[in-house]
Amino acid sequence: MPVIFQSPVPIESEPAKQHIPVNTPVAPSSVPASKMRPLTTFAVNPDGVRFETQEAEEDVILFLRQHIIVNVPWIIVTLILASAPTIIFPFLFQLVHLPFAIPAGYLIVGALFWYLATFGYALANFISWFFNIYIVTDQRVVDIDFIYLLYKQFSEAELSKIQDISYATGGIFATVFDYGNVTIETAGEVPNLTFDKVPHPEKVVETIRSLTEKGGGGI
Amino acid sequence: MISPVVPLAFLTIKILALVGLSVYAVFAGVLVRQEQLMADVLEEAFEPILRILTLIHFFGALGIIGLALVLL
Repeated sequence: MPVIFQSPVPIESEPAKQHIPVNTPVAPSSVPASKMRPLTTFAVNPDGVRFETQEAEEDVILFLRQHIIVNVPWIIVTLILASAPTIIFPFLFQLVHLPFAIPAGYLIVGALFWYLATFGYALANFISWFFNIYIVTDQRVVDIDFIYLLYKQFSEAELSKIQDISYATGGIFATVFDYGNVTIETAGEVPNLTFDKVPHPEKVVETIRSLTEKGGGGI
Repeated sequence: MISPVVPLAFLTIKILALVGLSVYAVFAGVLVRQEQLMADVLEEAFEPILRILTLIHFFGALGIIGLALVLL
């Protein structure tokens, strides 16, 4: 269509409205350092955390563990085991009549070993949870897994290699306590990373996304 | 009258208990070593407390072996 009239002075247009998403992540560098506690599961700019292959100029932006609620099953088992010598065993001994008396030494050693093994069970589970960590730095994403205390898996992906990131929550507990799995898909032969049962998965996704956008990443 | 089988059974239980406690002490030692390796991966303030707990567990396992040798 031919232009009939063209104004010599351009019409003053309205200033472009900036679209600000409702769920905008807080810039990690502007967040004050989080103080680390023994049971910390989610920390932005954590204070005093270093990991094995961290480089001198690399800063930890996000430190994650599995949500603390995942420890409940082994804590319940530990409580049952700990109460067994005083509650369950006397009840069992009343039901089963042995033809001989058990010497006191056996009872003492047996009871002490039972408590020690219970303590060992709880300790092994706690250590396993404590050292299974997920770290997001300003350069990469790191997943450190210890499986059955004897198998260590160290996975990492550079922020520039991240192609897609998503999260999934499901179930009553995950909904109530706000935790879920974050999946990070990477380019090339680098394996995908999964952060299992981490708290606030939406914040994790937003933070990684903002870091990759800041660094000109693939998302 | 106590059957002669009973002392033999207790001796068997004693040997088995000592073997089991020794195996458990090895597990406790592995836990100490593993905690050290994990601490190398992640440096955190709470780690010394965990190390003390694993050492208490290990020496507790050794102590029970000694106790079993005396009492059983």
